[in-house]
Amino acid sequence: MTPSRSDLLQGTLDVLILKTLSPGAMHGWGISQRIQQLSQDVLAVNQGSLYPALHRLELKGWIEAEWGSSENNRKARFYSLTRSGRRQLAEETESWERFAAAVGRVLAAT
Amino acid sequence: MLRRIAGSIGSLFGSRKERELDEELAFHIEKETEENVRRGMPPGEARRAALVRFGGVAKTKDETRDVRHAVWLDTTLQDVRYGIRTLRHNPGYAAAAVLTLALGIGANTAIFSVVHGVLLQSLPYGAGERLVRIRVDAPGAGINDGRFSPPEIRDLQERPRSFADVVEYHSMWFVLLGKAEPERVQTGVVSASFFDLLGVRPLLGRTFLPGEDKHGAEAVLVLSHDYWMRAFGGDPSVVGRVFQMNDRPHTVVGVLPPIPGYPQDNDVWMPISACPFRSDPSMENDRDAGMLGAFARLKPGVTLAGAQRDLTDLAGKLEADYPKSYPKTVRLALSPVALSEELTRTARPTFLMLFGTVGLVLLLACANVANLMLARLTRRRQELALRSALGAGKGRLARQLLTESVLLALTGGALGLVVAAAGQKMLVHFAERFTPRATEIGLSVPVLLFSLGVSLVVGIGLGLIPALSPRRSLTESLQEGRERTTAGAGRLRARNLLIVTQVAISFVLLAGAGLMLRTLWKLSQVDPGFRTERVLTSRLDLNFSRYKSDDEQRAFHASLLERLQAEPGVLSVALAGSFPLNERGPANGRFRMEGRPPVAVEALPRADFQRVSPDYFKTIGVPILKGRSLEPADRKDAPLSAVINQAMARRYWPGEDPIGRRIGVDGREPGVTQWVTIVGVSGDVRQYGLANPPVEQVYFSLLQFPGLSTTCLLRTAVDPSRMERLVRADVHAIGPEQPVDHFRTLAEVHSGALAAPRLTAILLAAFAGLALTITATGIAGVIAFSVGQRRREFGIRMALGALPSSVQRMVLGQGMRPVLAGLAFGLAGAIALTRIWASLLYEVSPTDPPTYFVVAFLLGVVAVLACFVPARRATAVDPMVALRG
Repeated sequence: MTPSRSDLLQGTLDVLILKTLSPGAMHGWGISQRIQQLSQDVLAVNQGSLYPALHRLELKGWIEAEWGSSENNRKARFYSLTRSGRRQLAEETESWERFAAAVGRVLAAT
Repeated sequence: MLRRIAGSIGSLFGSRKERELDEELAFHIEKETEENVRRGMPPGEARRAALVRFGGVAKTKDETRDVRHAVWLDTTLQDVRYGIRTLRHNPGYAAAAVLTLALGIGANTAIFSVVHGVLLQSLPYGAGERLVRIRVDAPGAGINDGRFSPPEIRDLQERPRSFADVVEYHSMWFVLLGKAEPERVQTGVVSASFFDLLGVRPLLGRTFLPGEDKHGAEAVLVLSHDYWMRAFGGDPSVVGRVFQMNDRPHTVVGVLPPIPGYPQDNDVWMPISACPFRSDPSMENDRDAGMLGAFARLKPGVTLAGAQRDLTDLAGKLEADYPKSYPKTVRLALSPVALSEELTRTARPTFLMLFGTVGLVLLLACANVANLMLARLTRRRQELALRSALGAGKGRLARQLLTESVLLALTGGALGLVVAAAGQKMLVHFAERFTPRATEIGLSVPVLLFSLGVSLVVGIGLGLIPALSPRRSLTESLQEGRERTTAGAGRLRARNLLIVTQVAISFVLLAGAGLMLRTLWKLSQVDPGFRTERVLTSRLDLNFSRYKSDDEQRAFHASLLERLQAEPGVLSVALAGSFPLNERGPANGRFRMEGRPPVAVEALPRADFQRVSPDYFKTIGVPILKGRSLEPADRKDAPLSAVINQAMARRYWPGEDPIGRRIGVDGREPGVTQWVTIVGVSGDVRQYGLANPPVEQVYFSLLQFPGLSTTCLLRTAVDPSRMERLVRADVHAIGPEQPVDHFRTLAEVHSGALAAPRLTAILLAAFAGLALTITATGIAGVIAFSVGQRRREFGIRMALGALPSSVQRMVLGQGMRPVLAGLAFGLAGAIALTRIWASLLYEVSPTDPPTYFVVAFLLGVVAVLACFVPARRATAVDPMVALRG
């Protein structure tokens, strides 16, 4: 099976963003680069769809945004995890792992 | 749909967010472009690739915006659900708050419906705000808001440039034949363009056509909506029917929509050509025959001041052109009065005062709910602390509380609508006493919006209170696992402040109600000068086409008096032009005094002229103080006699005996003075309202000065209302086509004169009672809460030997301190508002000390009780239990 670029389901993108932000604050472009990099280009985020997701997470209170200056001193919006975002990530990770394990078991059985 | 609404609300606040999003996306594209360049693409190519990779900036912006709105809606719904749940778990708190708010908002909605219907809403006439009534005064001739003559109307129609049109109006009654019984119909007699000027379109058929008010036109009628419903049951086939009036056929051509009974409550309307008096050629050209009102529509852009200038010019021209009719000494003055003002003048002060009152009641209600919320907030602090520990932001928590209070207020508002709807009928009845616009009162869309607006403002206002109360740190809040021994000082101070406000407002409202009740009492104690028991009154206006001559009228009067006098159960019977407290206005006439130096006509003294049959004084119980009453001997060919009242005797014959003096009045023929001998002096009566002092009156003998407008008065040995059939039968026996109607007992007439102040007093007392209840529960609530928090302190005090009674005294003392402060503020407030009361009071000073004392006493007693009950409960606890708990 060759790895194919798959469209991301919305919920999956959310959890990926949370995960990406767990080491520290990052701006939108950085997040998109990081996801692509970590997934070895399998998960090519349609860059535009990143922003609605970021704003949704912000409004849910899982991440918060702050204006700061980027590497080359330009104004950029940096996102970071909130306390409840961190908890959400933990929950989502756990349920993802449960889900993946279940699917794996089903596939292995046949 | 919901999302779109939420979106548009959201975008109101969103322009900053919008800009930030633009910047953020621009940054992303730039960054990606740089990256591409770094990978070796040429700059133009790099940017294009970046844009492709991004996939549609506009689309992204749209989606992001949508997300924001969706989340906003989502959290709101979540807050609402959570709010409903918390309120359901605290049914006592929720019910108390909702009920209090329902009463407050309901009272406001109800009174606003009146204020809106009568004072704010534009007139129910198409031409609306440009309508004026033209007023004429001639202070030199004692004419105060007089009438115009037909030539004057023509002058008004021709001269001033400010007016688009000028129409005339007068009202008379005629007898309408063609229904089962002859009917006396009040008839508005108007120019053909009257309804066009007002902008009134007919409900059925048409109004008058141009030319229908000219001589020789066919007689046509338009029915008022009210009369159409009353007399014809709303039957549309009435249009086209023909009725006999004034010995000629009149065809009904249309029915009016429901409009205010203004200038008067007329049953039918006719053009001036159909009115036998108005179209009489002698009347047509008599400059001094004032009988008409004038209405005009201002041309667009013309102000009242402009119209006033034109009218002043016209008055000057009239004085110059007709010096005989308008000598300089009478000081002729014409002025425009806006119709909107005209229709609501008497209503305005009362309605505005009521509006102010319910506004204060709502403030009280809010203060109470605020108190409840503060108390609950103290109890909820742990819940809130916990939620904030779980990651809820401060804004989110504030929003939750706001949602809850808005929920409470909206529920209260909805319930308030029920309250308002329930009171609607009574309020319309009430308003009818003040204005012809009462029929326009209703729970219309603007009223509902008002109610919604008030609910929202109240909800948001209450929701902000917790945000204003002192913040505490999380740990501090969480540590409060136990009741503390002393109450938080800041919050208690806020609640004491609420009590001060509540007591002060209640004081003002109670003082207002008290003053109004005193006024009502004073009015009901006024000696009207006549006896109201067992007197039946009725209206008996003779059909002029049947009883044209004096002798015909005399004959009718005489035979009716004779018949009624002979009926069993009738003690005495009288016919009179009018009777006290009847709606008929004063009939002022000029008179000369024999033996006094002659004066110019305009400078002659004036008095209220009444025509009465001999037994008038006996029938309504007015004493004859001097001389004799009128007698049957004062008939046609006997010397003319009159009785004057005491006010007249005092004014014109001070210290002298008026008996035997003669006064001269204008006779039927112009220029002839008839001399009438004064034969007696009667007691004074309050003819024109209980609050108005007696006017000077002359009572002429009806036998000598007959007339068409009469009322029939019967003093009976039995219940007067049972005599109605008798009067009808006797009237119809003499004149089968003669209507008699408007039967009332004199006691009802008297009570009707008290209706307006009584209803005002009742409403004010109800609102003040509501205010007092709200305040009492407020005080009790605050005290109960504070003693509840101090139970351990009391336990310690009592364990150390304090008697329950001394603890109670202490609680009482602390509770009463804000009450006393409130009383002081309330007193100051009530005195400051003096000017508003003054116009509504009768013989009661706006700072009436007994009223203020009683109000202060009442409030004090209620406050002591409100403090005492919770104080007692607090000290009833066993000290050991309190200490352990």
